[in-house]
Amino acid sequence: MPELPPSAPAAASPVGRPARDREPFEGLLQEVLPPAFGVALRLTGDRPAAEDLVREASVRAFQSFASLDPGTSFGPWFFRILVGIWRAGHRPRGAGPDPVDWEDTPDLLLYAHSHGAGLPVAGSDPAAELLERLGTERVDAAIERLPEEYRLITLLYFMDDFGYREIAAVLDCPAGTVRCRLHRGRKMLQKALWQAAEEAGIAPARQPRTEGA
Amino acid sequence: MNRFTCEEAFRRIDDYLDRELGPEETRLIEEHLAICASCLREFAYEQSVLDGVKRKLRRVMVPRALMARIQAELADAAEPDADAE
Repeated sequence: MPELPPSAPAAASPVGRPARDREPFEGLLQEVLPPAFGVALRLTGDRPAAEDLVREASVRAFQSFASLDPGTSFGPWFFRILVGIWRAGHRPRGAGPDPVDWEDTPDLLLYAHSHGAGLPVAGSDPAAELLERLGTERVDAAIERLPEEYRLITLLYFMDDFGYREIAAVLDCPAGTVRCRLHRGRKMLQKALWQAAEEAGIAPARQPRTEGA
Repeated sequence: MNRFTCEEAFRRIDDYLDRELGPEETRLIEEHLAICASCLREFAYEQSVLDGVKRKLRRVMVPRALMARIQAELADAAEPDADAE
């Protein structure tokens, strides 16, 4: 099991306190709740289920707070509890959107396709226009199309400022696995985002390649 | 190793943007970006995609009712010997 990374000074956990001392726990919880709720919402695909997941994780974390090792970051520790509860009670959601794959997906797909379509690729925030026109719902839908193991790792990356080691600690896997899956997850996400842009008419649909072309 | 080629820089784009490279490789990437406008444009675009997706996904409000419910459950759990009685 990978060790949880040491906490950053600003997020230092007041470890060794009794579990019933709510104040320090709630202070740390307040910081982690927005990303936790965001992850839970996309994992469950259902608002009441996401609320239940976050609530249960919060209570369990509080009950275990006294045993939190000195120097352990609160955020990854909390997410580890949340992901554990989700996995234990997780049931496949049935037929979802068509999953996107990463094979034959080039690196920098959005850059290459945007460049080819005459969309902005330079400036201070060159992808902003494309993402703004896509909107939050389509970005969410693109995340939804990632296979589950990639969706989880990608959500942890985007919803909080975790590094590879911290995500590895949450998921109990080597940092190299995180790196590899994150790379593939990003490629798949870019593919799904571009397809969403084509479907929405934001980007011109690319012609399918013909045999022998 | 004196300088990164475009290919060597490109292979490290994710690690660089995620600040997962060591100081020497970071320096070599930045030296390359200082002299290669094409790679600089690609790196900047990738950074913009990451920042944009983060902005979108992080636009989530925690419901006030959920906060209140959690606080109530924590208060219950903090009661001395709440389960024993």
